[in-house]
Amino acid sequence: MRIFLLVSAAVACFDAQAQFRLPNLDVNRMIDTVKNVGKAVRDIDEPEEIAIGRDVASRLLGAAPLAPDPALQRYVNHVGRWLAAQTERASLPWQFGVLDSPHVNAFAVPGGTIFITRGLLERMRNEAELAGVLGHEISHVLRKHHLRAIQKGAQSALAGEALSAALRERAGAARDKLIAFGTEMYGRGLDKSDELEADRLGVVIAARAGYDAYGLPSVLQTLQALNAQDSALALMFKTHPAPGERLDALGEKMQPVLDVYAGQALVAERFLRQVRR
Amino acid sequence: MKVLGLLLLVPVLAAAEPATVIRASELKQEPAADAATLATLAENTAVEALERRSGWTRVKAPAGEGWVRMLALRFGGSTAAKPGTSGVSELFNVARTGTSGTQVTTGVRGLDAEQIAAAQPNPAELAKLETFAADRGAAESFAAEGRLSARAVPYPKP
Repeated sequence: MRIFLLVSAAVACFDAQAQFRLPNLDVNRMIDTVKNVGKAVRDIDEPEEIAIGRDVASRLLGAAPLAPDPALQRYVNHVGRWLAAQTERASLPWQFGVLDSPHVNAFAVPGGTIFITRGLLERMRNEAELAGVLGHEISHVLRKHHLRAIQKGAQSALAGEALSAALRERAGAARDKLIAFGTEMYGRGLDKSDELEADRLGVVIAARAGYDAYGLPSVLQTLQALNAQDSALALMFKTHPAPGERLDALGEKMQPVLDVYAGQALVAERFLRQVRR
Repeated sequence: MKVLGLLLLVPVLAAAEPATVIRASELKQEPAADAATLATLAENTAVEALERRSGWTRVKAPAGEGWVRMLALRFGGSTAAKPGTSGVSELFNVARTGTSGTQVTTGVRGLDAEQIAAAQPNPAELAKLETFAADRGAAESFAAEGRLSARAVPYPKP
């Protein structure tokens, strides 16, 4: 952090006065380092994104393991993969996991890994609601919301050269730091605009897959009625705009789409068979 | 379409829940925009939500029973989910006496911000996760079983 600030300061000085040289510092080398940081940010390619995602997913599974229900895991993978197939990143190695936790939450990991908690799943009524939530999470991956947040934050968490090493190498201290930072982010959340965008796209993806477009709004309405002070909800409420605000935003921007695709499938029986056995 | 109609008959609200109309809304005879209007509910009218069908919720209002747009309703609010006032809080307690109890006693795993930040890699679970992934063909068969068909829906403009 300190190094990065120093470099920034040095570059700012360099821009202002080309003649100026800091004692004992090679300004040109530092400028190269800064350029590398910028390059690394633009150049995280798909294999790197997938590799970062696997490492982050492994840590999240360290926080909560998979629910010990293979049939349920396969069911959620079928719904998720069908949704992902309707998107521009259909060929990512999508995988979906139900976390064995009473918390109410869901997580999108770069590269196509999506988690949903058992606690959230148990509060849903049909497959269209599940599709709405998975559509929201899939949208985070499509628009690389977390990947961008990881990049942005890692620039200040790591020095420039360490960041490129962390991306290049699959083990070592810099890599650990990057993945730890990327995991920690799930406790802090994304920008509000990213969440609202994921809501809008999530509705569209569920509608594309043939589901009632009101699935996501229905879940938001369920969440809105729950007690925000409950510890099982605390993190989800902390990291997302309030459900009422999300419903307002969907009503404002998505009412026409919602109405056109309101009569599509709910698929309640199959869902309830899998979730409440 | 007949199948769809049947599915829509499945009630999606378990029991009557207290709700508020957040803006002036027409109370409709049927869950459709072109249905007859029974009354206009003023902003902040307290109602009981009885049943939901996609974009519409059947409510019991002071002016009578009918359908309002689902997005015009907000449930509970600050007075919501006090123990015993709705089935929801009961559901919660059941869920919380489950795994969360054991998680608290071990103090290692869990999905609070601090627990996520402290989480260690779990490669065994990651390997298990991969075994459950579905390929595109399997997903298409699954969709067909659920009578789901894909359609083109454009993304909204940003």
